[in-house]
Order: sequence, then C-alpha cells, then structure tokens
Amino acid sequence: MKKPHLWYKKLYLGLILLFLYMPIVVMMFLSFNAGKSRAKWEGFSFRWYSELFQDRGIMQALQVTILVAVIAAVVATILGTLAAIGIYSMKKRPQAWMMTITNIPMTMPDIVTGISLMLLFLFTKVERGFVTMVMAHITFNTPYVILSVMPKLKQMNKHSYEAALDLGASPFYALTHVIIPEVKQGIITGAMLSFTLSLDDFTISYFTTSPMVQNLSTLIYSKARIGIDPTLYALSTIMFVALLVLLIIVNRRTAESKA
Amino acid sequence: MMEQEHLIDLSNISKEYDGTTVLNNINLYVRKKEFVTLLGPSGCGKTTTLRIIGGFEYPTTGTVYFEGQDITAIPPYKRQVNTVFQKYALFPHLNVRDNIAFGLNVKNHKIANASLKQKLFGKKTAEVSDMKKLSRKEIDKKVDRMLELVNLKGYGKRSVDQLSGGQQQRIAIARALVNEPEVLLLDEPLGALDLKLRKEMQLELKSMQQQLGITFIYVTHDQEEALTMSDTVVVMRDGNILQIGDPKRIYDEPANAFVADFIGESNILRGTMMEDELVNFCGVNFPCVDSGFGENVPVDVVIRPEDIMIVGEDIGQLTGTVQSVLFKGVHYEMMIDTGDTVLKVHSTVMQPQGSRVGISIVPYNIHIMHPMDEAAPEEEAEESV
Amino acid sequence: MYNVSLPWWAWVMMGVGLAVFAGLIVLSIRRNHGVKRSLFASPYTLWMIIFTVVPCILVAYYAFTDANGAFTLDNFRHFWDSNHAKNQMYANMSEEYASYITRGTVNVDTLLYSLWMAFLCTLICLLLGYPAALFMADKHMKIGATIVVLFIIPMWMNFLLRTIAWMSLLEDNGLINTFLKWLGFDGVQLMYNSSAVLLGMVYNFLPFMVFPIYTSLSKLDPKLGEAAQDLGCNEWRTFTRVTAPLSLPGVISGITMVFMPSVTTFFIPRILGGGNTMMFGDLIESKFLTEGNWNVGSALSMIMMVLILLSLGILRKADPEGEGGGIA
Repeated sequence: MKKPHLWYKKLYLGLILLFLYMPIVVMMFLSFNAGKSRAKWEGFSFRWYSELFQDRGIMQALQVTILVAVIAAVVATILGTLAAIGIYSMKKRPQAWMMTITNIPMTMPDIVTGISLMLLFLFTKVERGFVTMVMAHITFNTPYVILSVMPKLKQMNKHSYEAALDLGASPFYALTHVIIPEVKQGIITGAMLSFTLSLDDFTISYFTTSPMVQNLSTLIYSKARIGIDPTLYALSTIMFVALLVLLIIVNRRTAESKA
Repeated sequence: MMEQEHLIDLSNISKEYDGTTVLNNINLYVRKKEFVTLLGPSGCGKTTTLRIIGGFEYPTTGTVYFEGQDITAIPPYKRQVNTVFQKYALFPHLNVRDNIAFGLNVKNHKIANASLKQKLFGKKTAEVSDMKKLSRKEIDKKVDRMLELVNLKGYGKRSVDQLSGGQQQRIAIARALVNEPEVLLLDEPLGALDLKLRKEMQLELKSMQQQLGITFIYVTHDQEEALTMSDTVVVMRDGNILQIGDPKRIYDEPANAFVADFIGESNILRGTMMEDELVNFCGVNFPCVDSGFGENVPVDVVIRPEDIMIVGEDIGQLTGTVQSVLFKGVHYEMMIDTGDTVLKVHSTVMQPQGSRVGISIVPYNIHIMHPMDEAAPEEEAEESV
Repeated sequence: MYNVSLPWWAWVMMGVGLAVFAGLIVLSIRRNHGVKRSLFASPYTLWMIIFTVVPCILVAYYAFTDANGAFTLDNFRHFWDSNHAKNQMYANMSEEYASYITRGTVNVDTLLYSLWMAFLCTLICLLLGYPAALFMADKHMKIGATIVVLFIIPMWMNFLLRTIAWMSLLEDNGLINTFLKWLGFDGVQLMYNSSAVLLGMVYNFLPFMVFPIYTSLSKLDPKLGEAAQDLGCNEWRTFTRVTAPLSLPGVISGITMVFMPSVTTFFIPRILGGGNTMMFGDLIESKFLTEGNWNVGSALSMIMMVLILLSLGILRKADPEGEGGGIA
C-alpha cells in the first residue's frame, strides 16, 4: 500500500489552527507590553497584570462569575439528575412532554431566553441582580445536565435497580448505591458542562442582571464599548493559562486512573 | 400432597397491562427443594409469573403465599427470594467481590440503621434488630465460599466487564445465593450463552440446587433445558397454564396438541374417536389405549416422530412415499407422504427418497386429546423487554 | 453586592414549592414499595414552568398587546412597517400630513441582512470546517485526537475576549495595519464593516461546524471505505458516494449549530461592526433596552422564534433520526 499523503492535510489543519490561535497569541503577547499601544512594542512589563489585580470592578466580576457558575452548576446538577431519573421512569406520554419542555431552552436562541426571563423578572417586579442571574443560569444549565445523565440511564441494565431491591436494598439505598454510581459519569459531565456554560454565558446574563452586579462577560462588554484596555488582555491570558493547566491536570488524572 | 410442604402458592393470579391480560387466573404451588420450570413461548406470561413471585410486579387480582403467609404486597427487598436476571444485571461500578457482597452489605446497613433507631427512639424493629452485623472477615469468608461454589476462585478483584458471559452468569448466581435465599428465581439465565456452555451450566445448576437444597424456579423457552433440569415443568401459553407435571409425564402424556408440539417434535393429526380404544385418522382405524371420549368424536391425535415404525409396505397399517430425507446426526428425519397427510418420522435406518414404505404405530404411542380451539401457537412480542 | 432581597411573596412561593414537593414525596410513598421515582422530576417541572413556560407566555402576551394591555396586532404590523406608529399618528392628524406617511423597512431589511450574514457564515464554516473534520478523522492522521483538543481549547476562553482579541488585529492602528504601513502600503479600514462581523462570526462558530462533522465521520466504519474501494471506487468516488452521504447528519447538525447563533448574535456586530451594521439580535436588544418598547420587541422575538422553529423543522426533515451528534 502506498504511503498516504498527509502533508497537505496537516498543512490545512495547521492553517485553521493558526486562524484560531492567532488572535489569542497576539493578545497574550500584548498583555506584556509596557505601553498601551496595540502595534508598538514598548518593552516587557507586568504593568497590566498589576493593574488587573488592582481593578476592583474586574475582581468583583470574577468573583460573581465563579460564584454564579458554582451555585448554578451545583443546583442544576441536583435538579437535573433527579429530573433525569424521574423522567426516565415515567410512562411514554409524560416522558415525551418532559423532553419537549427540556428542549425548549436549548432550541431557543439565547437572546430570546434572556429576554423572556427579563420580562418575567420585570413583570413580577423582582429586582434583577445576583439572584436572578443565578436563577437564569440554573434554567439554561439544567437541560444540559438531563441530556448528559439520560443516555447513561438508558445504557444501564434495566434490571439493575430491581437486582438491588432483590438483594434487599431499599429503594433509597438502591438509588444512592446503584443508580447514582452507575450514571456518575453522566452527572460529572453535566456538572462540568453547566460550569463552563455559565462561565461563558454573556447574552442571558446581560438581560437578567443589573449594571450593579456584573459578571466578567457583561463587564467586558461594557468595557469593550468604551475601548479596549490591556488589562483585559492580561485577564484573558490568565484565564487561558489557568484553563490549560486545568485541562492538563484533568488529562493526567484520567490517564493515571486508567493505567 | 401435604399442604405444609408448599413453599409458595399462587392463588387465582391475574395480571393485566393496560387492558391486555397477561396472566389469566393461574394457580400454582411450589414445594420445598423443588426445581420448577416455567416453560412456554415468549409472551406466554412465564416471566411475569416469576416477577410476581420476586415482587417486581403486583398481580391485578389474586394472592401470593409464602409458607402460608400472604406476601402479595411485600416489596422485593423484604422477600426471602433472590433472582438471577436475564442479562445478569451485575453492577458495573462494583468489582466481582463487591457485587457478591452487595446483599450482605445491605443487610449490615439495615442492621446498623435499626440499632440506630433503637438507640434514638427506643423502638425495636422486629426483623433485623436481633441480628448481629457481619464482620468484614465473615463477609469475605462467605464471598470466598460462593466464588468457590461457582468455580471462580481468585476472580474477586476483577471488574465485571472483564468477565466472559459464562463467568458473569456464575457471578450473578453467586450474588443471589450468598444471601441464602429460600427460593432462587432464574429468568432465562442461560439464554445468552452458546450451546456447549449452556449444556454445561444446566448440569452445574442442577447439581448446585441439589447440593444446596433450595428451591429453584426457572423460566425458559427451551423445552430441552426444561426436561433436563426440572422436577416439575409448568407449560404456559397466552397467560394460561396448560399442564403441570414431571418431565417424563409431560413428554409422554401431553395434555393437548400445543404441549405436544412445544415439547419435542410431534405429528399432530385431526382424527375421530370411533369408540373406546379405537381411533380413525388418515382414513384408517388404529387401536389405541385411550377411552372415555365417546363415539364419533373429533379429536387431536399426537404421535412422536420416533414412535412411528417403518415396516415393509405389505405389513404396514398405512403406506406412504418417502418425500425427503435429512441426516440429523443420531437419526434420519424422513417426511413420509401417506396421501392424506405428511408424517415426520425419525429412524436410525434410512429409506431412500421416493421409496414406498409401510408404517406401523404401537397403540400406547398414539396419544388422543381433546382438540384445542386454536392449534397453532402464535408468537407474540417479547414479553420481557 | 449580592443582593438577595427578593419580594416577600417570592420567598412564600419558594416555600410553597418546596412544601408541595415534600408533600408529593410523602403522598407517593406507597406502602412498602417506596417512592414513585417519576416524582423526582417534579421540582424540575415546577422550575421549568416558572422559568421557561411562563416567560414564553409573557413574550407572547406582550407581542399581542399594546402599551395599555389591550389586544392588538399592531406590533406585527410594526415589523412590516417600522414607521407604523408615526404613520398612524399622521393619518389621524389631518389630510396635509398624509404626504409624510412612508413605509419604514428597517426591520425587514435587518432581518434579511441577518439571514444573509448567517447564511454566508454557515457556508464559510462548512467550506472551511468540512475538510478540517475530514482530515482530523483520517485514520492515518495519528495526531487527530490532539487536534480535536486544540480546537476545543480556544472555546474555553470567554468568547467576548476572543472577539476583542480580533480588534487588536483589525483596528486602524492595529497589528495588520501597522504591518501594511511598515511595508509601505496605505492603511485599510478593516473594522466596522460587514466583513469584520463575518470574520468574527466565522471565528466564533467554526468549531460548532467541525465537531458534529468530525463525530459523524469518526464513527464511520473504516471498512466501508475499503468495501467501496473493493467495489471499484477510487478515492474521490469513495468520498462522494460513501463518506459524504454518511456524514450528512453531522453536516446538518453543524449547520443548525452555526446558523442559529449566527442569526441571533448581537455582541459580534456591536463590537466588530461598530454602529454600522445592525443585525436582528441588535434590533431586538435595542427595542427592549434602548427604546423600552417591550411589545414590539416581543413581537420581533416571536418572529425570530417562528423562523428558527421553521428552519429546525426543515433540517429535522433532512435528518429524521437526529443522528448528527453535537459536542455535548
């Protein structure tokens, strides 16, 4: 068999990756620039990093972002896991209904979800802020948890639960010692997905919070409209490196646990 | 049969799902240390019967008794019955040892809870509070003994996905038996194994049952399996019990054409009972041993293929032409056209295709039964999906 | 900062919700048989009714009422004629104002522009993404899995930051223009036009095209290709006759995942398009937040939803089994 030509495929993929990474690399580079210029290199410095850590607005937004993501992920995971188990053991018709409701927020464009939630809060005169943002995030996260747990439930041997009961386990014991461990992977995936979706969300947060409580996305948006500030570059660089490190750690861990 | 001997009694059990009747008023008892097989085509209600005994389904009407006590509404986890599930249902997140120990750990957990309740509220929970928790060592010992019983010593630390189908099957049995149940329910446990392994496991299961002296209730659609292993075979169809009896009786004296057809191969012919001990089929009168049907009554006549003797054309009760010959290993299977009908005949001597032969049947090999309303068993959708 | 003060009735409602759930659980404990598991979904059901179903009803309510809450279809007329309110006012004043009545086409133009941009974006993503997915799924490509990870990593960065990163490249005194000037060319206006917006969209949504296609391609049995070659297909024919049709579910899922957010994006045109380009998402946002006209805004949202449901329906038809896997 002749050796397949791979070089042009590699070249193509390389170019696509260059397109994806070029702005990120440029931004990381500029975050160490001493001057404010985006074109002229004025020497290496950590100036923007120290400014970043002194910027109370950004620090607070970071805190809000992480707190919202954690709370929303935890609540959505509990709510979604319970719901998935419930929906799974429903009869056909209610099951189909529940899945339709679950699909609504996933097919709705973010902007419509955001606006409809904003209308809900305005209509009920609930002041928009931290709590409303958390509620909105729970709302769009939970369906993703359900969709990650559901396939695992379906993969499970149908008789697993009965086998546990047969061996003397109460329904609660069977739930905590058999069903949940068996779908654990789906629950973890759902939780991670929720967390990252929350971190990344802009549109829905934008409509469901007040200017007083901002997460990183809404803060960046308001800053970007005024003009970019290299502190944002520094922030991006830190976030990028942090995620990269996290990814490597997670990969190492899974590699070790498999070995 | 003495009443005390009954371990399980199903009395007038019916089960309906959304208007369709799955079990139609069945009555059945199981004695201690008996090996009972529920046999029938898929959709006959055998798995539902087993699930009612296990506590996974509740009958629409009727009562389940265990040692004379009504357990109809008792949930599975409070029954002294354990099940080996169709596709084993081993817990994939636990290794072999923890799978087997599951029931024992559950028991410990219950005892701990009960003693906690007793401490907190001073209440005594009758079933478990007098029992002592098993120590880690005791559990290990029991699990080891089970692994030995199923010939899987040294497999304890393995993950269940690493095991072959046959090994998983043994673990499933061990997991159920470690709880020392009074009754073991087995739902087509050998269905997923290949033929050779299945035969081996049949013998092993049977000897395990005799060795441990516990009751087995076994569900299968494989008639050979049922005949090999059971003390009692219960033949079911469309939610009804057609016949209960020991394997020999079921084979030799099938209650109707369906049982005859389902258990082993048979020729089922429409005939007429002329008088006691004389039946007419294929236009010929045959002497038989049955009586009491009345005169000129339409009946079903069942003859096993191995019971038909091929004799010289001149001395046969019937004559026919050999239509086809198949070599089946031990015997030849020949289809013989008598003009009226085509008979299936098993014989160790081959007759060439196209040759004329005589046919003779010994009176006690002719089984007469009342005609069934619908002779052909219809295949229904898999009941236990 | 964390304002957790909710109106009193919100707390009451939460309490009632929890109590109802607890009550359902208690009620459903069948003697001896434990809790009916289907009830585990009840908190979620309650949550989704309050936060998904009711808000959707609210959008519909505002879309079909005027500022005073009376039923009206004017909001939809506003869509076809964005001067509708003004025109009605002129019509009511006197004859001489009739000449001022002109039909406003802003909304329809914006919608068409958005659809056109989304279409272009989807097309470019498909053209760029399909080969990329195909090469990644190539069984000879040993680094395929690594490249998948490399595609995912940028997505983990906040997409606003990623978009802002482009600004530093495209600006008048950004890197590209500086480079051009250094070479002796005149600077080019790269930002604040449709091309910049399109670039930003492609950049952000390309991975959504690549992943589903990659998933469906890598699921293909390599023996299929071998079978086709065995039956006399050359590499190109194998691709057009076997690989391409079988990757169709992935392509459809990719198109959905790129087209939907493209139509509705409002951040990218804001940042990279400046004020010069208006997309449908911007229009809705400005109706709500700038003009404070909830009724018209709701009507526009509904129109967008209908459009999206229609296109989803069409795409579902093309992929009835819904096999195209997403990234999730």
